[in-house]
Amino acid sequence: MQFWAYAARRAWHTAITLVLLLVFMYVLFRLVPGDPTTILLGTGELTLEAQARLRELWGLDRPQWQQFLTYAGNLLTGDLGMSFYFRRPVVEIVAPMLGNTLVLMIPVVVLAILLGVAAGTWLGWRRGERIEEIGAVLALIPRALPVFWIGIVLLALFAYELRWFPIGGMRQAFFYPETWYQALPFFDVARHLVLPVATGVLASMADPLMIQRTALIEVRHEDFMILARARGLTERAQRRLARRNAILPVLTYSAIMVGFAFGGQVLLEVVFTWPGMGRLMVSSVSQRDYPVAQATFFLMAAVVIGLNLLVDLAYGWLDPRIRLD
Amino acid sequence: MRAQLPRDQFAAAALRAKRRQVLGFLGGFGLVAPGAALVSAIDAALNDAAAQPAPGQPVGKLGVYLPNWPDQVELWRQLSRDWAPLGFELDLQQGTLDTFISQIVAEQKLPHIGSMSWGGAPDRLDPDYFLSEMFHSRRTARGGLNFGFYRNEAFDRLADAQRAEMDPAKRQVLVREAQQIIADDSPSIVLYHRDIIHAYNKRRFSGVKPILGNGIGFPYMPLSYQDITPLTPRRFIRITSIYDIASLNPFLTPEIYNSTTLRLVYATFTTRDEKAEVMPWALERWNVVNPTTVDITLRPNTRFHDGVAATAQDVKFTFDYINQHRFPALSRVYEAVESAEITGDLSVRLKLRQPSAPFSANVLGYAFLAPKHIWEKVPANLATPADWPNDRPVGSGPWKLVEWRKGEFLQFAANADFFMKPKLDGMVVLPVPQMESMVGMLERGDSDMLGWNLDMTLGARISRNPDLEVVRTPTHGQHELRLNCAMAPTSNKAFRRALQHATDRRKLLEIIFSGAGVVSNGSPITPALESWANRDIAMPEASIDRARAVLREGGFTWNAQGQLLMPPA
Repeated sequence: MQFWAYAARRAWHTAITLVLLLVFMYVLFRLVPGDPTTILLGTGELTLEAQARLRELWGLDRPQWQQFLTYAGNLLTGDLGMSFYFRRPVVEIVAPMLGNTLVLMIPVVVLAILLGVAAGTWLGWRRGERIEEIGAVLALIPRALPVFWIGIVLLALFAYELRWFPIGGMRQAFFYPETWYQALPFFDVARHLVLPVATGVLASMADPLMIQRTALIEVRHEDFMILARARGLTERAQRRLARRNAILPVLTYSAIMVGFAFGGQVLLEVVFTWPGMGRLMVSSVSQRDYPVAQATFFLMAAVVIGLNLLVDLAYGWLDPRIRLD
Repeated sequence: MRAQLPRDQFAAAALRAKRRQVLGFLGGFGLVAPGAALVSAIDAALNDAAAQPAPGQPVGKLGVYLPNWPDQVELWRQLSRDWAPLGFELDLQQGTLDTFISQIVAEQKLPHIGSMSWGGAPDRLDPDYFLSEMFHSRRTARGGLNFGFYRNEAFDRLADAQRAEMDPAKRQVLVREAQQIIADDSPSIVLYHRDIIHAYNKRRFSGVKPILGNGIGFPYMPLSYQDITPLTPRRFIRITSIYDIASLNPFLTPEIYNSTTLRLVYATFTTRDEKAEVMPWALERWNVVNPTTVDITLRPNTRFHDGVAATAQDVKFTFDYINQHRFPALSRVYEAVESAEITGDLSVRLKLRQPSAPFSANVLGYAFLAPKHIWEKVPANLATPADWPNDRPVGSGPWKLVEWRKGEFLQFAANADFFMKPKLDGMVVLPVPQMESMVGMLERGDSDMLGWNLDMTLGARISRNPDLEVVRTPTHGQHELRLNCAMAPTSNKAFRRALQHATDRRKLLEIIFSGAGVVSNGSPITPALESWANRDIAMPEASIDRARAVLREGGFTWNAQGQLLMPPA
């Protein structure tokens, strides 16, 4: 089969997955008891008559299938709808939060992979030594701990006791620099980033580390490595060669890792009061703000599904056998 | 007796609820078409049969719904122990506040007991709220707060009469009488009114003003911020709050935190003073001409934040606008005011649809002065002007909005034109969704005031810091156990009275909130609200023997195993 035919088929499957996801999420959120007006009703802030009027204004009084068709139709034109809670287009609510989330997530993923690969290579190269055993255990400890717990411990230590870093948030409102380095652009955001990024990296670097280590151990005994040694390459050059040849599985994994990072992000954002999508996700669900909740979940799922598609296509391109299934 | 996880009856009820939702949902898509009324009738019958003990039979299990908050869990841990000698079991069902509201308030599916706490929103200061909203038979409808189905015609008449009585002295008598009926009938066990505990940095600021139901840091009553004075060169205060607002449009949201925050910018016509008495705010005075006619007069020289002078035109416009668009958030305004008519440069005559005693507090204290020249230009293509973003709010209140960055901060500047100019230059509200972070920020000096309810443990920790001061303020908000008056055994008055005696309020307040609060004498109105509370109601004696005696008098007996038996038919 031609590569393009394969690509088209995979893209079609992805599209179907996304549509099913959309329907599934729509149904799921509607099954939760109550709607966005119920919360206000119960506190006595809204009378039953006023609630009925609000439901009418927000289109919640129409049959579910009509609401769904409107939603799906708007989505085709890129319109994610209006938030019930904020009464603004969902895009206006979600976009800045997605930006904030990426500011936190990208350094976490990049650093976790870089540090994981470096440490994994180093450990793999020392296969069988005492240091390798200790290193592997050390790397697995933070992996086994809940990410919010690591965050709380780092906060207690470096923010509450030592007071090196802020307690949370992304910026300090009205930050006045007192020294030259505090006046550097992004200084304020950067110091807010240190603890959450450290937490995220600690929690997620074990996977790339262990994968890289295993791959490196396999690669070390390949013929080309023996040849390299025979050619008299320095230890450092040999290690570089091994690392490059062992890195493919980590790259594959990094697509999955982005998905996990999105999920872990929710806890990270709550612990560090980071104004990102994770927190928006939590609050929009409890506020029954369906359009925002659906958009955040959909966006998250779409990123993971999209990355999987890219990886599949890359495989199909690299290894023609896969196109034949 | 041990508190048990939801099983049998409750799990079954939950399952039925889910099944019904699924059916209803599918029905919406046209897939199946069950008669909703039929389904609910079957459910109701099943529920009642399962939950109600027959005459002469063991009372068995009482269904209790409680929110999954730590203080509620502790409360029921205590009550399961304290009530055990009475000879029945408890079936505790925990859930979120949302579930409570959607199942018990909106769907009216209270098991025997619903455990809830009500915050001290300003409109609840008027006794009408905790009497009529909670116990008038009219409010047993779905969505009403009389979800315990309490019905008493004598009480209904009093509740209606006090609402219509425009003379405060006469109204006081009616309000106190109504409280006595509630205390006697016991449709609810009002436990206590938990103090509001806030904290601030006393090295940097002075002049905080604790107000009943508001503390020093809530935005509910603008007067509390008015006299805060800086002691350092920085002339603005940073307050942390657990919430952020959702919108800058004052016509949109009825949610208490959002609406009161916006009313710092949009001055209400009246407000509450330090003693929580109603005082004029945007108004210079108001005058009740007759029970359905109220004359109001604006303060002279009032200016909106854009410099435009406010006149009677704006007042009339405000009421007309609310009547025309029937904003759900302002339903209490259009339900009260029929028309507004200009009688002078600054004065307007309001015609009410019916006499309303809480009018000056809850309508004039909730409606705000809206600038006509701004709102008449709102684009007409919106479904409602409440959907307009209103990014640059222009009001006439003590604070001007400078900037709102969602999830980060809300910045205000003092309005020098306001008749009572704030002593600060500005105010920054920082939404911090976690209590621990809020305390940490206050301790580190990153914030100057903690505007959210602390518990005593955190309060004690904060007060060890010499820079910080913890302030306790009483509130009219309350914790209660609502009893289902339409389902045995809680439908039995002797049973409800017995629970009053079996519940040791002082002990519970001491254990759960370290005693920070005021215990109730059975009336839903706090004794701290001096003008309305009925202090003559005798506090039910906390004694399990007394409780058993009351049960015996009511015809209840115990079998050999010590189980409580219903009175014979």
